[in-house]
Amino acid sequence: MLRVEHLTKVYPNGTRALKDVSFQVEDGEFMAVIGLSGSGKSTLLRCINRLIEPTAGKVIWDDIDITAVPASQMRQVRRQIGMIFQQFNLVKRSSVMTNVLSGRLGYVSPYQSLFNYFSPADHQRALDNLEQLGLADKAHVRADSLSGGQQQRVGIARALMQEPKLILADEPVASLDPVLAHSILKYLEQMNKERQITVVCSLHFLDLVHRYATRAIALKDGQLVFQGLPKEIDDAQFKAIYGQEAERVSIV
Amino acid sequence: MNPSPPTNNPLLATVLSLFIPGAGQFYLRDRRRGIAIFTTAIVSAVLIYWAQDNFRTAVTGGTKMALWALLGCFLVWNIVDAYRRARRQASSDLIGLLLPVLIIYIIGWQVTDVRLDRLVTRFGNALKIWNDIIHPDLFTQDAAGNWLPSENFGYIFGSIANKPASGWLVRLGLVQQDALVPTFQAGKIIETIALGLLSTIFSTILAVPLSFLAARNIMSRVRGGTVIYYVMRTILNIVRAIDTLIWGLIVVLWVGLGSFAGVLALTIHSIAALGKLFSEEVEHIDPGPIEAVTATGANLIQTIRYAVIPQIVPPFLAYTLLRWDINMRSATIVGFVAGGGIGFFVVESLRKAAYNQYAAALWAVAIVVMIVDYVSAKWRERIMVGTTQVASEPPRPFYKSLRTWFYLIVGTAAFVYFWQLCEINLKDLLNPAPTFGQLVRSFLSFNLEPEVTDAVVRQMLITIFQALLATTLGALMAIPFSFLAARNLTGRSRLSIWIYYLTRGMFNLLRSIEAILYVAIFFYWVSFGNFAGMLALAVTSFGLIGKLFSEAIENIDPGPLEAITATGATRLQAIAYGILPQIIPPFISYSIYQWDINVRMATIVGFAGGGGIGWLLYNDYFPFMKYRSAGTAVALIVIVVAVMDFASAKIRERLV
Repeated sequence: MLRVEHLTKVYPNGTRALKDVSFQVEDGEFMAVIGLSGSGKSTLLRCINRLIEPTAGKVIWDDIDITAVPASQMRQVRRQIGMIFQQFNLVKRSSVMTNVLSGRLGYVSPYQSLFNYFSPADHQRALDNLEQLGLADKAHVRADSLSGGQQQRVGIARALMQEPKLILADEPVASLDPVLAHSILKYLEQMNKERQITVVCSLHFLDLVHRYATRAIALKDGQLVFQGLPKEIDDAQFKAIYGQEAERVSIV
Repeated sequence: MNPSPPTNNPLLATVLSLFIPGAGQFYLRDRRRGIAIFTTAIVSAVLIYWAQDNFRTAVTGGTKMALWALLGCFLVWNIVDAYRRARRQASSDLIGLLLPVLIIYIIGWQVTDVRLDRLVTRFGNALKIWNDIIHPDLFTQDAAGNWLPSENFGYIFGSIANKPASGWLVRLGLVQQDALVPTFQAGKIIETIALGLLSTIFSTILAVPLSFLAARNIMSRVRGGTVIYYVMRTILNIVRAIDTLIWGLIVVLWVGLGSFAGVLALTIHSIAALGKLFSEEVEHIDPGPIEAVTATGANLIQTIRYAVIPQIVPPFLAYTLLRWDINMRSATIVGFVAGGGIGFFVVESLRKAAYNQYAAALWAVAIVVMIVDYVSAKWRERIMVGTTQVASEPPRPFYKSLRTWFYLIVGTAAFVYFWQLCEINLKDLLNPAPTFGQLVRSFLSFNLEPEVTDAVVRQMLITIFQALLATTLGALMAIPFSFLAARNLTGRSRLSIWIYYLTRGMFNLLRSIEAILYVAIFFYWVSFGNFAGMLALAVTSFGLIGKLFSEAIENIDPGPLEAITATGATRLQAIAYGILPQIIPPFISYSIYQWDINVRMATIVGFAGGGGIGWLLYNDYFPFMKYRSAGTAVALIVIVVAVMDFASAKIRERLV
């Protein structure tokens, strides 16, 4: 279980990105985070694995306070939390295999990994994950030779290498066209159901939230403005989250 | 334009501009225009005033009068402009632009000592040296009429002579003590290649760590890092602004004349140049992968290994290859001051007035530099594009590849050989000549006596004007030729393909030789001085600008041309509306870029008798150990080059 308590983030330039945000995610949930651009979604996800240091508040996961873990032990925490990014964040010049294997870095000896050494078991695991994502034949091509949808699947494979219990997905489909968006989210849903990986995923489109999420929270200007089931987001809620001007749009 | 409030008084604007140029325009809220007019007027006046005493034709006074008259016209234009703009009438920018440009070029013409008559009256000299250039001393005929490499060929490329065997051959038991074995004696061009390679390797190794210290994104994370960043950036910019040859003057006092001094001078300049490029590359890395790899739980070392290094290695390699090309060119001339390499040979042969030997050296330089230029460009292309692997097999580990081992062994052997050839002796770094201490002490206590500052400023201005005229001349000549060297315009006939290759070949040949090496030709033709230096710069500029222009033409978007042709426009109209608008901005941009390069080059053409500030350093300050004055001159060079660099980058940014 992931519990976020009174989380606040103030950037050095004075921007208050998160204001006293509290919520919790049960194991095995697919939690969607919605809100406008700049509402604090990315900051929230990054505070969970402390890519960004929160200013105040706690993130408690499996009874460990992540915000209090010393830097030397963050490795043990982070390796159990996979992350997927809007811009895929692959090393474009490295091969798909190297990108996927880099998901094991939290486990392997730092010195062996300096020489690009990974155990045969890790290689097999990488191939299995690529296979499951339909990319087995792409293992040895350079990452930048793949299409956007393929790159994001490599991103998922990298996260799966961590054998995570939790996946944080920051707008994983915002850079992809609608058809691919469904394909990527289906993979996430599959991982969520088959491997019981908890997913916290920020999304732009409400109909994607309705289709995939088991629960949703909404942020507006860094504040939590909604918490509940996706179907509970009615027109009034919608206007509260996105502003009076907003119109509902849907994709495919 | 913004609707102006009714307080715009044409009379007031006119009167303001009458008393202070640009003030009327400033009052009319066109602040930029006002400031530009004011600055132009002041700069022109100062330049004319300065140039008065530096005219060779000062006695006649005619040009002087003409210049002041032009400035007068500009001021009148400024008043009319203020009046017309206040009444919201159209006012021509063209005259306002043309007048100062005319003033600048007339001054440039005078101070660079352009003497077109000499080009004609001394044409016989040009023919003589042309004859030497096409008959270089490389081959001779023996009694039987067979062509053989001449002695000079051996000096340049290398020869095989019987020499006592070197120690390791004896120790291996291959030959007996003191036995004579045929030994390859490297010629000056081989030494030049060694200088270029070693300095590239050394500077790359040293620039990598420095570049991290000069990268803002890295240093901002470290306590006190921003201070280190600014200090590093400043040092790199200063060191970079000082040309390799000026470094040569300094390092010979440190380690003495010879190849090692050459390597050192090349390395110092190259570290700064690479350091800047590398650090910019570090600043531009994509933070995404770093974030992603950190999120997997990787520690700092792993993050650098998997997210930073894969991103920076290819561009670093590409820049190193680019630098190899540049260092190779500099290595051909570093011998002018530091000894070592073909430059030293050129100086010697010019001293003997052996122009056919000099010509042979030019050809050797052209061949080697063109090869390096080609290899470096192809290699860079391959690195940046990358190999598109489609194989589903994992790549073989590098240590199992025979080819890798081959390259490794050959590379190491070459490195050791070149190391010995360049007489690298790191101990010399610790034992500088006593004069070096004096140099370092005096260099930073600038000599600001009026006679020194006068001379330095005067020669610096001459240098800038030399560069301006050379760029203009080079660009004007390059424009017609660049159309012949643009593949998309030359057509498909056999003749035009020949023309294409010939023009391209000419550009490549001419730009492969540094301007300072051309000085001797013009020295002989029009006698030494600013004019010779300017012409030499123009030749190299012609080659470089020609190449850039023709590539700019090749890169135009055919879309607009197609669209305008489709409207029923004639061929000429199509060119005027479809092509010209696309090529004028890059043409101007490349010309400014070339001016920037030429100012750097013009600071050293004086070393070969081409005038300018280099002449002052090489013939006056350094030989007579006037190191304080030299410090002043170098400081001014640094300032001017840095300002030019900054200004040209800003202007080009706006153009493109």
